[in-house]
Amino acid sequence: MTMMFLATWLPRAASGNAGVVDGPFQNLYVITAFSVVLVTGLALVFIRTFGRQDEDQRGDEGSGFSRPLFGLWMLAALAMAVFSIASGLPGYVDSTVPPYGAVPVGVTARTGAFTFEYPGGNSVDTLHAAVGQPVVLTMESTDVVHGLSIPAMRLHQAIVPGRTSRAWFTPTLADTFALQDDIFSGDSLLVARTALVVQNQADYDAWMQSVADIFAGRTLPEVGELLYNRMGCKACHTINGAKLVGPSFLNVYGHQAKLRDGSTVLVDAEYIKESILYPNNKVVEGYEPVMTPFLGKLDDKEIGAIVEWLKTLSEHGGAAETGAAAADSTAGGKE
Amino acid sequence: MSNGAVASARGYLAGPSGLGAWFSSRDHKRVGMMYLGWTMGVLLLGLLFQLLMVIRSVGGMGEDPAIIFRAITYDRLLLVFLFLAPVIPVTLGYFLLPLQIGARNMALPGLSIWSLRFYAAGLVFLLASYVFGAVACGWTLATPLSLTAPGSFTPLFLGLALVGLSWLQTGVNIILTVNTGRDEDMGFFDMPLMTWGVYLGGYLLAAMGILLAVIVLYLAAGRAVGHGPFGPGSDPLAWLGYFWFVTRPAAYFAVIPAVGVIFSVVEGISRKRTPGYRWVVGAMITLLAVGVSTWGIHLGPWGQAPQTTFVFSVLSVLVVIPAAVLGYFLLATLYRGAVACAAPTTFTVAFLLHAGIAVSISLFLASPAPGAYLGATMFATAQLNYILWGCVLAALLAGLNFWWPKMTGHTLNQAVGRFGGFLYLLGVNLMFIPQLILGARGVPADMGPFAEGATGLGETSGLGMLFLFFGLMTVVSNFIGSLVCDKPVADNPWGAEGREWLVSSPPPAGNFD
Repeated sequence: MTMMFLATWLPRAASGNAGVVDGPFQNLYVITAFSVVLVTGLALVFIRTFGRQDEDQRGDEGSGFSRPLFGLWMLAALAMAVFSIASGLPGYVDSTVPPYGAVPVGVTARTGAFTFEYPGGNSVDTLHAAVGQPVVLTMESTDVVHGLSIPAMRLHQAIVPGRTSRAWFTPTLADTFALQDDIFSGDSLLVARTALVVQNQADYDAWMQSVADIFAGRTLPEVGELLYNRMGCKACHTINGAKLVGPSFLNVYGHQAKLRDGSTVLVDAEYIKESILYPNNKVVEGYEPVMTPFLGKLDDKEIGAIVEWLKTLSEHGGAAETGAAAADSTAGGKE
Repeated sequence: MSNGAVASARGYLAGPSGLGAWFSSRDHKRVGMMYLGWTMGVLLLGLLFQLLMVIRSVGGMGEDPAIIFRAITYDRLLLVFLFLAPVIPVTLGYFLLPLQIGARNMALPGLSIWSLRFYAAGLVFLLASYVFGAVACGWTLATPLSLTAPGSFTPLFLGLALVGLSWLQTGVNIILTVNTGRDEDMGFFDMPLMTWGVYLGGYLLAAMGILLAVIVLYLAAGRAVGHGPFGPGSDPLAWLGYFWFVTRPAAYFAVIPAVGVIFSVVEGISRKRTPGYRWVVGAMITLLAVGVSTWGIHLGPWGQAPQTTFVFSVLSVLVVIPAAVLGYFLLATLYRGAVACAAPTTFTVAFLLHAGIAVSISLFLASPAPGAYLGATMFATAQLNYILWGCVLAALLAGLNFWWPKMTGHTLNQAVGRFGGFLYLLGVNLMFIPQLILGARGVPADMGPFAEGATGLGETSGLGMLFLFFGLMTVVSNFIGSLVCDKPVADNPWGAEGREWLVSSPPPAGNFD
């Protein structure tokens, strides 16, 4: 009965280290539920039993203190405190030491997105792991404080800018689990939510092959969209025309943008490249110069892909451009 | 003014009337009553923000989820800094403390009213910040987000600094009043337990109030000029360490006076002194010690060394010891008492239940492995909610129901009060038990009460909020209704002990003249 009720509390356990969290949780649950019911129940019984009979009645001074009973009561409380610490300690010690041979995955957190970098330099936006194979995450943040939470793995770790945090887990079930940023990271609306995909070894190996090249099997606009999602652009730039921290990407390509200094500029491949690498040089009117520069994080080929994707979002599409069109089609084509 | 027969019939309320007269009054009773109005206003605002969250999230996060993030930020800031931490010392404390120790007024009557003015100004600044550019950076104001996020931060920081200074003034005033204002024949261990609770809370208010003002002003400087200990480039743990050092005890300096109030109320309704007076005082002092030494429990997953986190886990689990002492003697005071079946009794049961749950949650959060998993989830914020809505509010309402005849000279309807208390108890648990379950499932704290993964639990929690709301409305209308219906009230309607019951109801302006 208790176990059935408990099953509704914790999420499904799918990692080797879930037991060290769930065990103490369930035991503490039983102990504390019993204590709370006991204390509240006693109060209700006393209020009922010793209810005031007549208006002048007074309580029995000095009653209610029994040395042996009080001693037992305090021993029980002490035992609860000791149990709480002792039962949770082994799992905690384990969690600080990743096992030998764990797959190292680098995690970069920024508002709106996580990037997971696998050995060999492939970076993806969904965390993958193989059943039974421990994974150790080495995490850094590029802007504000973030957190990485995978409830099924009983994992929560804050990612603090300027520090490197580490956490590890061993998945035991092949499935897809929720993974999200669980620390408030601001007004930019989009909480980074992605997934942990646990596969058996063969599927995992096949997946590793497929992510080696983001351009393989994708058209340039598809690569652009992938980068938009992966690099965190979507936290500040919508594709539906709504205004967030930065301008929307809808119909942005090929239009004349008015800048903060009053001049106007044609949004072409050259302007887009400059705005990605040195975003605060030419800021559009109505916005603050707050964007993180992506210099060194995106190469020309990837920026070319983003430009191609932006064209597909614009009604100016491939028509409005003149010389700029030629320039950027060579940028896309020379690769 | 207390000499005339007509005037003394209404005691301190009969003095000069009008808003100006009240807002410049140095009478501790008037200050306490005004604080009651202000803090109830803050509580209502907090409820409105919660309601906003519920409404906005019923159909998912809505078009602009930032509204929810902002509501959460201001909800917590208002409720923690303007309600939870100061509420019992500034309402029941100001009103009853001098009466209980046989003093004519607070030690520094001018400081009483100035603390209220600072509090009111702080509230106005906080609301101005909400109106003129609500910020959404979470109530912990974590750097670097609080340095770069858009929004009107200046009034927010100023408001918090003013509130901190208001705490400081209240704290100093309480400490001095108890140290110097007691009757000659009243030693420290003759003081009522509520006086002890408010006195100990006063030390925390004074110490943490000045610290809050200082760190918030440093943060403001960091944002404005880009320098300082919490400015750009500083380690986010620096700010968070100080923030929790100030805020973690806030829960305790709310709980210690709450414990004192509950003990005094229970002694009154069961007409029996507690059999372990010195144990209870000792437990309250131990709570204070635990309160100021456990801030690091919040920094565990933030990059604090695991060994340090373990030390803080051990320290914070010690809360069970004073809690067990208090629980034992609360029951022992009821045992073989002459227990009145009245509204304060219902709120006492609610307090006991909610305090038990809050202490239980401490065990989960202090246990190293489960604590690391649960620390950033709704499970942890449900504990704060249990302390705020469950313990401190229950103690406040028990105290108000108990001392209302003394404070106003009007009698409350006990049946209505008990019904309100029952709705309140039902509401709190219906509201927060689902949040505990959601938290255990991994729903993060402060992302809106019904973030993804809600399966009817969010709706249950919303329903609980309605019960809570109607419970509070019942209690408040009972208060207001009592003012309209004019039944004369005896000086000591409960047959309780204590100096406050020796004076007329309501007390004359000079208390013991």
